[in-house]
Amino acid sequence: MGMPLLSATDLTKTYTGGTTTVRALDGVSFTLEAGDFVALMGPSGCGKSTLLHLCGAMDRPTSGRVVLEGRHLAELTDDELTKLRRDRIGFVFQFFNLLPTLTLGDNIALPCLLGGMATAEAEARAARLAERVGIGHRLRHYPQEVSGGEMQRAAIARALVHEPALLVADEPTGNLDSETGARVLALLAELNREMGITILLATHAQEVAAASGRVMRMKDGRFASAESAPSAPGAIALPLPDANAVPAV
Amino acid sequence: MQSRLFNQFILRRMAQERTRTLTTVVGIALGIAVVLAIQLTNASSVRGFETALTSVAGRTSIEIVGTGGIDETRLPDLGWLRAFGGMSPVIEGEMAIVGSGPDTPQQGSSTPSTRTERGFRAPRTEAVKVLGVDILQDLTLRDYALGEVQGGSTPAGSKPEGSMPEGSKPEGSQHEGSLTSQQFLELLTSPRAIVITEKLARRRGYALGDELQLMAGDRVSTFVVRGLLKDEGPAKVVDGSFVLMDIAAAQLAFDRLGRVDRLDVQLRGDGRAADEAAATAPGSAEIDAALAAISARLPAGLTAQRPSRRGEQVERMLAAFHLNLTALSWVALVVGLFLVYNTVTISVIARREEIGMLRALGVTRRQVLGLFLGEAAVLGLAGTLLGIGLGRVLADAAVGLTRSTVSTLYIATAASTPALAGWHIVLAFAIGLPLSLVAASLPSLEASRVPPTAAMRGSDRLESRVRLRAAVLVAPAMVLLAALALAQLGPVDGRPLFGYAASFATIIGASLLVPAFIFLLARSLAGPLRRLLGVEGLLAHANLAAAIPRLSISVAALAVSLSMMVAVAVMIGSFRDTVAYWVGQTLQADLFIGPGLQPTVGSEQTLSAPVIEAVEAHPGVEAVDSFRNIDLVYNGNLVVLGAGNFDLVLSHGSLLFKAPADGREALRRAIGTESVVVSEAFANKYGTRPGDTLTLQTPQGPRPFAVVAVYYDYAVDRGVIVMDRGTFRRYFGDLTPTGLAAYLKPGFEPERVRAEVLASLDEGHRAFIYTNRDLRAEVLRIFDSTFAITYALEIVAIVVAMLGVGATLLTLVLERQRDLSMLRLIGAARRQVQRVIVIEAALIGAASQAIGLVVGLALSVLLVYVINVQSFGWTIQFRVPVTFLAQVSIAVIVATAVAGIYPARRATRLVVERDE
Repeated sequence: MGMPLLSATDLTKTYTGGTTTVRALDGVSFTLEAGDFVALMGPSGCGKSTLLHLCGAMDRPTSGRVVLEGRHLAELTDDELTKLRRDRIGFVFQFFNLLPTLTLGDNIALPCLLGGMATAEAEARAARLAERVGIGHRLRHYPQEVSGGEMQRAAIARALVHEPALLVADEPTGNLDSETGARVLALLAELNREMGITILLATHAQEVAAASGRVMRMKDGRFASAESAPSAPGAIALPLPDANAVPAV
Repeated sequence: MQSRLFNQFILRRMAQERTRTLTTVVGIALGIAVVLAIQLTNASSVRGFETALTSVAGRTSIEIVGTGGIDETRLPDLGWLRAFGGMSPVIEGEMAIVGSGPDTPQQGSSTPSTRTERGFRAPRTEAVKVLGVDILQDLTLRDYALGEVQGGSTPAGSKPEGSMPEGSKPEGSQHEGSLTSQQFLELLTSPRAIVITEKLARRRGYALGDELQLMAGDRVSTFVVRGLLKDEGPAKVVDGSFVLMDIAAAQLAFDRLGRVDRLDVQLRGDGRAADEAAATAPGSAEIDAALAAISARLPAGLTAQRPSRRGEQVERMLAAFHLNLTALSWVALVVGLFLVYNTVTISVIARREEIGMLRALGVTRRQVLGLFLGEAAVLGLAGTLLGIGLGRVLADAAVGLTRSTVSTLYIATAASTPALAGWHIVLAFAIGLPLSLVAASLPSLEASRVPPTAAMRGSDRLESRVRLRAAVLVAPAMVLLAALALAQLGPVDGRPLFGYAASFATIIGASLLVPAFIFLLARSLAGPLRRLLGVEGLLAHANLAAAIPRLSISVAALAVSLSMMVAVAVMIGSFRDTVAYWVGQTLQADLFIGPGLQPTVGSEQTLSAPVIEAVEAHPGVEAVDSFRNIDLVYNGNLVVLGAGNFDLVLSHGSLLFKAPADGREALRRAIGTESVVVSEAFANKYGTRPGDTLTLQTPQGPRPFAVVAVYYDYAVDRGVIVMDRGTFRRYFGDLTPTGLAAYLKPGFEPERVRAEVLASLDEGHRAFIYTNRDLRAEVLRIFDSTFAITYALEIVAIVVAMLGVGATLLTLVLERQRDLSMLRLIGAARRQVQRVIVIEAALIGAASQAIGLVVGLALSVLLVYVINVQSFGWTIQFRVPVTFLAQVSIAVIVATAVAGIYPARRATRLVVERDE
């Protein structure tokens, strides 16, 4: 195997507020290979969101280094980090974070438009991905006109529209009911399997972690343990017994 | 508990959010300051006149006046007035000290004043109030506290060689204390003797025995300082600019031989010592009774009145001008209040979760309401305090801007801004605090309705898109209809109150329409913005469309101040064009000759025979029209009565007649008959039409005059009545003219004739001669300076509104912090986000200006056809200054875009949620 997609070495992150200092990450190291589906698990405040932010080029570590596709993130300027996020990383959040003022179609096309792609091409891509995640009929709707599951599908489509190397997802099912959550999870697993997208996902739901290829448990800013899912990355079975029975709408 | 919560929750946050707090405080302060400044400015123009009036009036309870003064020969018939108390005939007027003081070596010349080319603008010219009295009679009415005097034996003008250093006393000078009335009389026996104030002497470096050149009308005469008055009684006239002389000397100097201006009467019973008199001054009922008794016995042509009447007349004359300024000053305040609304709204939005948390912890709705109203109170208090200080500074600027208008068009004004009185401070707090609370009430109520669940992040933050319902159009439509109805109503007591109400209703109605307007604009702009400005255009449009309810307030605030700007620009532009046309049509003479000193109300200035002869004698002059203006009280108001040579007007001049169609024929018929023509302002103010009869106060009593025509005039807003010189002479006597208009023979250069006439005058005569071209330019210059204050007020209002736009954008940015962060996360560059915000700012500016243009044009129609007609009585030809408006529109859009820069910088902060 060649160079890993992402390697994090000895990452620490401290937040200082007034006289108190909080150490959110405390010497974390790990690697991600292309096509991995890794779940970060742990209780609230264990540092998993912080780790996602550092890996997603959203924030800089206090010490240690992150290398994504051979590039040291610490050496990049703010503009270069922005470009890196725009071109190589996709984000999915707990609260969907769609712009309420844009249609789902425009929301999905946004990363391409921001990257300077022609409108027609961006819209065509958005339509293809919307179709792929099962919301092709909702392109002209606004976020508040669709269900939570549909919003998260749109968010996933937006995260993938520019064909990123890495998808970072922070509690993607945390704001959904369990049935809808299961469908979204199934979709992520399917995309990982069929499109080979590398996924780094933070959750504290056991069943979500179970859908991933590898689970890394965190506690107090460190890894507690790492365990592999039964199947190899790219060929995992859906963990929820009834997941396949749910229509993908 | 509540105060601790307020300290921790509100005050601390205000200190953290320094920019926002400061912007709001400055916004309120500017609003308050402008209101105070205009109050002070208005007070200053009336105050100058009134302080002069009251300090000169002394113990006068009643004055006897007549149109054009009182013929001296009638005084013996008024001896019966002595039964009521002491009386004193008076000449009062204004003169100018010409040239520098005697000991100002910087002049470097043996002649202290050198006549300028124009004839009178010598260095250090200063206006002084001159009172001419019979000192023996006058001492019962006024207190003159003489300080230093020159000994009675010293002949007038025989001062020692050279000038005297300040404080040194010439030979024969003595201190008053034992000066008798007789000695006082002797002090003033010479027609060249004057007494000036110590203040004036100090200021200009005069000492006893010094010569002093004073100009009245076009005549410069030399006087000798014989005594110095302490700062008491009439000497208290503003800055001590006061000169006392004998009544005969004053008649001579003012060229009012055989006339006195009025007879001051002090009712008996209050003629004891000065301090006692104050305590026993006659009561109002006593004066009323005496007034009635005196009026019943007065011969025709004379009127008895309180001295304060003249002050009231001046106040009424200035009322329209003052009301306009006051109305404008409130615009800045209203816009400042929008800022308070904005700031408290930001505060509430930014802290929704915290409010929810407080509610969850048991803080009541009422307490939450109190917290945010408290924030508004702190802002209002700070803004008011700063505004009071700022008001004084702005007042100086405003007085500077209005002084030339008031003194050119109305009265001589005070040189300085009056001090802030206690009631100004009360006024500032009375408007600053309650209005801040009113402005904050809506967002504070919104805060009190935040549910405890808002404490949970993101639980209620998804915005819903705005829809337009037809029902929201009902209220604005009704308000606008009311505006239309109000515009049809007439003036109240000569004030266009309904006109202002109509303007206010138009502004309110239009503000209510703002959301609908933005909604339609947003819908129609979506496509073009995306095509023109790409993804930033798409985002800016989407953001604005979602924030219509919030934006409407700021857009309305900016649109209101811009609409006022547009309205005033259209009004002034139209007015200026009209005046320029009028000047072009009516100013036909080649030269206009006036006295060196400009006349104002209560101070007529006349031309003397040598000047008239010099003009008439010039070989290039074909004809000379002389005119005479006097102040006339008509219906309790001051109007101008003018006399001119109608024959000459018909052969050489040109009046623009409003009615009847053949005004010239009417003018011809008026010659030699009891007929007058009136100005449009007069006709509108008093509802006069050709065919009506006016009863005018003449020295022979009230007399009827037929109105034969109405002509256009834009020079005098209080109204002008003009009669033929022959008619005037029959009723008012042969008064010296106040101005000449000369028509030149073909081939003579006006500039050359002017120079030659001026050169032919001796040192003692100074005329002001305008060529036709100069006078037209001068009229427009005066016009422009009149409206300088208007533009200044507009600019303040617009600056405050711009602050509002900046603050609103900041609100929107804070409100959308998550969305903006998300944009940055999914790859929007810093510059892209900034561009989105700046585009939003420019769009807000463009929308505001678009509304401002529409509303402004509607307001300008009200200004031109309702307010202006009702307050000044002028017909203005409606013109739209297209180029100016286009320039302003571009400037506004650029300025709002600039106002968006700070919020844009704030917008690029990448806020990453901390680990949960």
